[in-house]
Amino acid sequence: MRESSLMMLHYAAAVVLLVTGSIHLMKNNIPGMEIHGPLYLVNMLIFVSALMYHAMNGVRVILIELMPKRSRAISYIILVLGIIIYLYIANLVIALVR
Amino acid sequence: MEERWILFKVFRYNPKVDKFPHWDGFKVKVDRGTTVLDALLRIKEEDPTLAVRYSCRQSICGSCGMMINGKPRLACYTRVLSLGTDMVEVAPLKNFRIIKDLVVDFSDFFKKERSIYPFIIRSDAEEMMNPTGAYKQTEEELLKYLEFADCIECGCCYAACPTTATDPLYLGPQALNKAYRFIMDNRDEGAKLRLSVVDSDHGCWRCHFAASCSNVCPKGVDPAKAIQFLKGVIMREKTVGFKKEGTTLVSYPQLKPVGFQRSE
Repeated sequence: MRESSLMMLHYAAAVVLLVTGSIHLMKNNIPGMEIHGPLYLVNMLIFVSALMYHAMNGVRVILIELMPKRSRAISYIILVLGIIIYLYIANLVIALVR
Repeated sequence: MEERWILFKVFRYNPKVDKFPHWDGFKVKVDRGTTVLDALLRIKEEDPTLAVRYSCRQSICGSCGMMINGKPRLACYTRVLSLGTDMVEVAPLKNFRIIKDLVVDFSDFFKKERSIYPFIIRSDAEEMMNPTGAYKQTEEELLKYLEFADCIECGCCYAACPTTATDPLYLGPQALNKAYRFIMDNRDEGAKLRLSVVDSDHGCWRCHFAASCSNVCPKGVDPAKAIQFLKGVIMREKTVGFKKEGTTLVSYPQLKPVGFQRSE
């Protein structure tokens, strides 16, 4: 995947984070705002996916700068690590929201 | 004319002989017009072992870039008294390998520049070999890249760039600025080739827009802006497709030179 595709996803994830994060904050802080069931679960899963991608790609960019000759290895390690953390968090979200 | 004694603290290091770098102090009498390069050449008269690279002495060649009071500047373009300090610290450009004293190795810098194809690429090879006319460029088309075309390759932007300091494989502001300059030139047809080089792990996406490069450029070029525009070009290429107006060939008999009439 070209660097531009990864960065485009990075920016898109930031926008998604703003929207889904706002819904999450409103649900928990505005009295009377009730979002329940599968709709909120979907929102949270999208939020977590965007958050994980944005965070892990950010870490990847920092590590590539610190270890420029290991860029490919760093990308694969971050991908595997990201999937493992994502699966753990997604399971946690499903258990909590249900 | 006001004359003052200024202390020059000059970085000295010969990797072939010295284990560690050290600083030498020299007192030089300067006046309003004395540049840092003038002062260094006076120092060199006293101590011929001092290595300094320079050529044109009028900020055109870009040879005398160095760290002056901690900032990358051209020595020939920096007047000593304009610095406003009684002591002037002169060191080699950062992010470059030191050859000796104030002279640094530009091979990596030029290698990166060459990687982005810093010349006009055209598909009409026959016309390039046997030209029958000139390529038309309007004022608007020229203005799209003119502000990025003044680069003299002095390396000041490269020395100021925080990303280059951490990532030696990063293409750097000079090469990326040049890539944008040629991509926006309507005579050029090599945009795709260049975009494939700059859209990489160590290409334009590593720029954090600290804009230190633009801050130190002695020619007023804005590489940070060019890099952000370059990112925009890549985004357009990936989404709606990047298109630019081509140029037309105006054959020689149609050209009307200003100031004289062509005689047939």
